[in-house]
Amino acid sequence: MNILLLLVWIIVLFCVVMLHVAYATYFERKIIGHMQVRLGPMEVGWHGLLQPIADGVKSFFKEDIIPTNADRPIFLAAPIICLVAMMSALAVLPFAPGWVLADIDIGLLFVFAMSSLASYGVVLAGWASNSKYSFLGGLRSMAQVISYEISMGLSLVGVMLMAGSLNLTKIVEAQGDSIFGMYLMPQCVGFFVFFISMLAETNRVPFDLPEAETELVSGYSTEYSGMRYAIFFMAEYIGMMVMASIGTICFLGGWNGPFSVAWFPPLWFALKIYMFMFLFIWIRATLPRYRYDQLMDLGWKLLIPLALANIVVTACFKALAG
Amino acid sequence: MQIEYKPKRNLLETILQAEILKGLSLTLRRLFSKPITRQYPHEKPQIRLGFRGQHALVRDPETGDSKCIGCMRCAVVCPSRCIRIRPYKDKEKHGNRRLISEYKIEALRCVYCGYCEEVCPVNAIVLTEVFEYSSYDRPSLYFTKEQLLGNWDRFIAAKGIRAEDYVNPFWRPRGLPEHTLPAAKRQEVDSEWSGENQVVGRNWKKHHGAQQAG
Repeated sequence: MNILLLLVWIIVLFCVVMLHVAYATYFERKIIGHMQVRLGPMEVGWHGLLQPIADGVKSFFKEDIIPTNADRPIFLAAPIICLVAMMSALAVLPFAPGWVLADIDIGLLFVFAMSSLASYGVVLAGWASNSKYSFLGGLRSMAQVISYEISMGLSLVGVMLMAGSLNLTKIVEAQGDSIFGMYLMPQCVGFFVFFISMLAETNRVPFDLPEAETELVSGYSTEYSGMRYAIFFMAEYIGMMVMASIGTICFLGGWNGPFSVAWFPPLWFALKIYMFMFLFIWIRATLPRYRYDQLMDLGWKLLIPLALANIVVTACFKALAG
Repeated sequence: MQIEYKPKRNLLETILQAEILKGLSLTLRRLFSKPITRQYPHEKPQIRLGFRGQHALVRDPETGDSKCIGCMRCAVVCPSRCIRIRPYKDKEKHGNRRLISEYKIEALRCVYCGYCEEVCPVNAIVLTEVFEYSSYDRPSLYFTKEQLLGNWDRFIAAKGIRAEDYVNPFWRPRGLPEHTLPAAKRQEVDSEWSGENQVVGRNWKKHHGAQQAG
C-alpha cells in the first residue's frame, strides 16, 4: 500500500516537473525574445502558450536517426542516463514540510552524485556519436564538470557546517523562517561560488561550451534527433530546476517565506525556483560565452580558492561560536 | 601604439563585476521595452512610395494592349539581363512602327533596381507594390507578356484607382531637367517622393529634422 502511494507521488512529481520543464522553455523563449526587443513565440495558442506542447508533439513524432558508425547501445543509452540521473535527484528535494519523496540523510551528496552522473550521459553521447563535434562537446563537458563540481561541492561545505547536516529538510529547518536566518548573508561568498558553478554545471550560458552552437554545431547532441534530442533538452532543464532547488534550499531558506500559505505550501519554494530560472535566462540573454581557458582559469584560480577560504572562515566562526 | 583593450577598473568594480551588471541592467530595461516585431502575415507592412515589387506591363486604355514600343532600352539597361523582348514590324498595318510579339521577364533573376521603369520612354513597364507572389515552381515566375499585363490589371484593381491616375515615381527620374525627359515622363510626382518630404527611414528623418532645426 505504501509503495502504491509512493508510486502515485512519483507519477505526480514526474508530471508536474515535466510540465514545468515544458513551460520553462516557453518562459525562456519569451523572456529572451523580449530582451532582444522581439516577441518570442506568438502563433500557437494565445501568445504562443501552446508552443511547448506543439514542440513536444513534433519532437516525439520526428524520425529517430542513428548514425551508421555510432556506437549503437551507448548512443541509445546516453540520453536516458542523462535524464534518469537528473530526475532521480528530484526525489530528495523537499518542496514543502513533508513534501519529499525520500527524506534521506545524505540528500545533498545524493544530488551531487546524480548531477555528476548526468554528465556521464553527455560524455558518452559525445563518444558514441562518432562525430568530431560531439566528441569535442563531450570532452569539454567532462573537463568542465570535473573542475566545477569541486568548487560547487566546496561552496556548499559552508552550508553543511552551519546547518550541521546533509539532509536537505534539516538544512531548510536550520535556517528558520525569518529572512535573517537565510544562509545567503553569512554564506555570501559560498553563494557567489555556488551560483557560478551552478551555471557551469548545467551547461548554461556563459559556460555552455559543451554545446557551443557557434563552434561545435550543437556539441554532444549534434547527432541526436527527435525524441532523443528532446530528452537531452529535458535533462538540461531538469538540471536547471534541480540546481535552482539546491540554491533555494541551501541559501534562500527553502519553502519559508514572509508568510505561510496554507492551501499551497510549496508556493515560496516555486517562486524562488522561478527567480533562479529567471536569473539563468537573464544571464543567457546578456553574456557571451567564455573562452575555454578562461573557463578553466575561473574555476581553478578563483572559485576553488574562494570556496576553500570560505570553508576555513566558516569553520573558525563555528568553532569560536559553538 | 599601445591599444587598451580593457578599461582600468578599481577594486570595487572588479568585485562587483561592474560590466556584467551594466549588461544585465541593459537587458532588463529591454525586457520592458516595446518589441519592434511586425507580426507579418497578420500585420502587413506599410508600402511607401517608390516600392519596387512585382513587375507589370501597363495596359494602354486606348488600345487595350501594352504601351511598349519595342525600343529595347529596358533590355539593354537591365543589369541582370532578365528582360527578353522580340520586336517586329507590320508594314501593311502599322507602317514603320515597332511592335512586340514577346515580352518576358525572368523575375527570379531580377534585382529590382527599377532601371527599366526609369529608362522606359513611354512608361510601359512598372514595378508594382505587390510583393507576395512566391511560387513553388520556376516557370510561373518567368512572366510572359500576358502575365505581365494581368499583373497590372490585378494591381490596379487591388489599388482601387483608375489606371490613368496611377503615377509611379520612377517614371520620372530625379535630378534630370524637365526638357531632357521624353514627353510621357514629364509627370507630376507625389510630393512625398521628391525633395525634403521624402521618407528615407526613421534615422534619416531624425537626423535631418535635427539639422534643419539647428
